Amino acid sequence: METLRASGHTAILTEAMKLNERSVAHYALSDSPADHVGFLRTWGGPGTPPTPSGTGRRCWFVLKGNLLFSFESREGRAPLSLVVLEGCTVELAEAPVPEEFAFAIRFDAPGVRPHLLAADGPAAQEAWVKALSRASFGYMRLVVRELESQLRDARQSLALHRRSSWKAVTSRCKPQAPDRWSPGLENGHTLSRDCSPTGLVEEGGSRPAGRGLAEWELQGPANLLLGRGQSPVSPETSCFSTLHDWYGQEIMELRRAWLQRAQGSRPEREGQDRP
Amino acid sequence: MRYNEKELQALSRQPAELAAELGMRGPKKGSVVKRRLVKLVVNFLFYFRTDEAEPVGALLLEHCKVAQEEPSGFSISFVEDPERKYRFECHSEEQCQEWIGALRRASYEFMRRSLIFYRNEIQKVTGKDPLEQFGISEEARFQLSGLQPSSPSLGPGFPGRA
Repeated sequence: METLRASGHTAILTEAMKLNERSVAHYALSDSPADHVGFLRTWGGPGTPPTPSGTGRRCWFVLKGNLLFSFESREGRAPLSLVVLEGCTVELAEAPVPEEFAFAIRFDAPGVRPHLLAADGPAAQEAWVKALSRASFGYMRLVVRELESQLRDARQSLALHRRSSWKAVTSRCKPQAPDRWSPGLENGHTLSRDCSPTGLVEEGGSRPAGRGLAEWELQGPANLLLGRGQSPVSPETSCFSTLHDWYGQEIMELRRAWLQRAQGSRPEREGQDRP
Repeated sequence: MRYNEKELQALSRQPAELAAELGMRGPKKGSVVKRRLVKLVVNFLFYFRTDEAEPVGALLLEHCKVAQEEPSGFSISFVEDPERKYRFECHSEEQCQEWIGALRRASYEFMRRSLIFYRNEIQKVTGKDPLEQFGISEEARFQLSGLQPSSPSLGPGFPGRA
């Protein structure tokens, strides 16, 4: 498909770049989480003058990942526009009309026109600038890599801590079977059946507390890092019950803190406790 | 849907995760294999004629399925039309696996799930929310369920609602 494109005063016939627009629109409308939504005024879109003038056209904007979509209304069934938020900076802008809570998306690459947008108030303006500034793929990747390394460190230091604590405990008891615990957290092994509450320890050490999170365990992030079911305690030791109490307490602490946090953001899920 | 091609063209010039000359076939019936320079940049797959600087096209890699196609190729299809496949031919099984792996990890949604997973795991181990240091612990994109509002200014996280 060819488009007539104006470049300066010369019209050039070029082939339009293809994009899987139907899939893009489907993604925009899907129930994958939006990172920010709201009404914004925009200039330069269809039906508006190409240069900032007047109050702009009010559209419903949806930010998903590094893609900013606009819709005619909240119920819009097809996106009006798409802005790809890569290689750009977002900053407060001089509104065409004073105090209009405007901001601009400016691209590093030369010749790429900035987008001027305006929110309804200062809080919305700030929230949008913040959200759009953090929308790039690169930012997300940095955060993920940072967390990946933090988790690795946290697990390693937990493993070391447990090992030294365990040794401290076992030294008070009769010497038993050789230390069966491997700090290689890839080799998860669950507690034997005669230890209660197995469920509690298993949960604390391995699976996320069963809130429908199985999907990503299949899809890769779990595979990226360490295996499930880490449990450093060997059932062979005679001091197992002591160890278990100590271990269980720590797990309960962690779980309590985690549940508090989880319940803070999902109040309707109270009472979904495991024994 | 309006978009500025120049934004995508500029993106296509960014450093690629993977780039190679592959055989490519469009999704239409009877399409022929063409040599294309294929370049993976963030969550977009660009494809160029081998002698041109600007891409012929781009595929957004969200909600897509990447499948191996015998003998040493792969296909990309999208959730709303799984039979409509973009097919690619590699020169070796090894190259094929490399591309499949990279493409499956290329979506923003994959990274979001990874982030939520790591956040959750770190909280279990340390009792602390690692996102607090970034000042982004309240953002909807990082919540466990992914569909919950996390701040007063934010809607329930999908279009059509405030």
